[in-house]
Amino acid sequence: MTGVVTTLRERTRPGRGAATAGPRPGRPRRSASRTARPWLLLAPALIVMGGLLLYPLLRVVLISLQDFGLRQLVSGRTSWVGFDNYAELLGDADLWRTVLPNTVVFAVVAVALTVVVGTLVALLLARLRPLTRGIVTTAIMVAWAVPAVTGTYVWIFLFTPGDGLAVQALDALGLTDAATANPFASRISFYGVATLNVVHHGFPFVALTVLAGLLTVPQEVTEAAIVDGAGAWRRFWSVTFPMLRPVFAVVTVLSTIWDFKVFTQIYLMPGGDGVNRGVLNLGTWSYVESFAQNRYGLGAAIAVLLTVLLLIITVGYLRLLFKEDEL
Amino acid sequence: MRASSLGKGLGVAGLLLFTLFPVYLMVVTAFNGRANAGSRSLWPEDWTFRNFTFVVGEGGFGRYLTNSLLVALGTVLAGALLALLAAVAVARFRFRFRTSVLVMILIIQMVPVEALVIPLFIQARSLGVLDSLLGLVVVYLAFSLPFAIWTLRGFVAAVPVELEEAAYLDGASWGRMFWSVLLPLVAPGLVATSVFSFITAWNEFVFALTFMADQDNYTVAVGLRRFFGQYGTDWGALMAASTLITIPVMVFFVIAQKRLTDGLVAGAVKG
Repeated sequence: MTGVVTTLRERTRPGRGAATAGPRPGRPRRSASRTARPWLLLAPALIVMGGLLLYPLLRVVLISLQDFGLRQLVSGRTSWVGFDNYAELLGDADLWRTVLPNTVVFAVVAVALTVVVGTLVALLLARLRPLTRGIVTTAIMVAWAVPAVTGTYVWIFLFTPGDGLAVQALDALGLTDAATANPFASRISFYGVATLNVVHHGFPFVALTVLAGLLTVPQEVTEAAIVDGAGAWRRFWSVTFPMLRPVFAVVTVLSTIWDFKVFTQIYLMPGGDGVNRGVLNLGTWSYVESFAQNRYGLGAAIAVLLTVLLLIITVGYLRLLFKEDEL
Repeated sequence: MRASSLGKGLGVAGLLLFTLFPVYLMVVTAFNGRANAGSRSLWPEDWTFRNFTFVVGEGGFGRYLTNSLLVALGTVLAGALLALLAAVAVARFRFRFRTSVLVMILIIQMVPVEALVIPLFIQARSLGVLDSLLGLVVVYLAFSLPFAIWTLRGFVAAVPVELEEAAYLDGASWGRMFWSVLLPLVAPGLVATSVFSFITAWNEFVFALTFMADQDNYTVAVGLRRFFGQYGTDWGALMAASTLITIPVMVFFVIAQKRLTDGLVAGAVKG
């Protein structure tokens, strides 16, 4: 598909370039070549992103309006069904009872924990001496660098029913019975483990971003607050937080976007690949419906729903960003 | 004062424990010769490289590492070139729709892979390019471009325009100026974004899982699944393979973070 798009564009481009650029594209002062040049520079990147990000996005909407199963996949025929997939999706009790709560509650809890832990870590880092701060920052980067795939397997290892170290530890504390407990069976504990995984992976970004913000707060402001007798709690809410409101807004919205569409960390956990339907979220449901059940139309409708939700959050993010720094 | 420094010490200790414990456990289990026999200790009961040799040899992980390396390098090389050209366009030229292009690049980053994997799978299947490493490179290229363009734009904008004008005064064409002035100054940014493109391609899971049917074409992220569950989980092998995947990412990550924060064009305007 991209191959076709590329050759088409390339065939038309030199002609247009020659027509507009004049005899020699020399100095950048010449106006015609100046108009064409940015577009020539942008063209390869725009073609790739258009062909592999924008066009598929349009296509997924079209697929969501079709009955698209194995037969259509093989024959290439299309059968339009209007909004049937959406009707089925919105009429499915699983959506409202299982999938949406899993997605939204998980995102809210994970984001709240990520931002709180990240902020506390940033506040701690800001109070450390440079050497200690360097060491701790490196450790945080190490946690950040662990790929989602391998990180997820480590958490599964820790919570393996029976002999996982975390299960054993909880058993020793008398909280579970290691012989019978299966953390991956129930929805709450499944998402509890997923939350640990996602927070561990996500807090470094928040911590380092907030730390960068904290270091810009002028020393005098903090000192003035101390002189006025404000405690640490009061100082944070009355001085630091208002000054860093944009930073907090950005890390919160970005974390929300990431946690809403979390896929790998859920899919890889035992039962997360559709075997245990009680732990599906929007992302895994869409994938399982498409690639395990071969119901690409319904899967596409779920994906569109997820995209629309993310788009709403993204618009909020953009409005924050534009206030911060004009393009 | 003492209470607060004690609190700080406890905070640091707790933080280091939470941050590093999973990594520590991964490495320790990778070296534990009895991990497959149900050993769950915090220190290897039997130090060995057997897990690693098994994974790379019989486990077929050497092949996956090569595949991932090829895919990631392809993504990095193509991505660096395309992103740099695009970044120059948006940082150095004022043109109509410039803001629209920038906003589009930002918004496009938020599109979930779940929405892209369905149409791209169907498209790739009808074009017969499933199961090809090159197909993955093209997809990862598209994924890494928005971030790379957005980041490089800052690096390009930080190069003083006076330097470019000086090159023009010396009679350089735009192309000559690009190669001899702009490119060397943007190099640190190029390194940083390349590292992130590498990590994107190296870590990607969903597309590799969906597009690759033949085991010979697996990348590391998908290849890991072989050790999970198929014959009961082989934890020693799984953790050894995980360690092999994680180490390059960690090294690159620390490099990139330094580069991104280091002075961008320090000294460029001096002489």
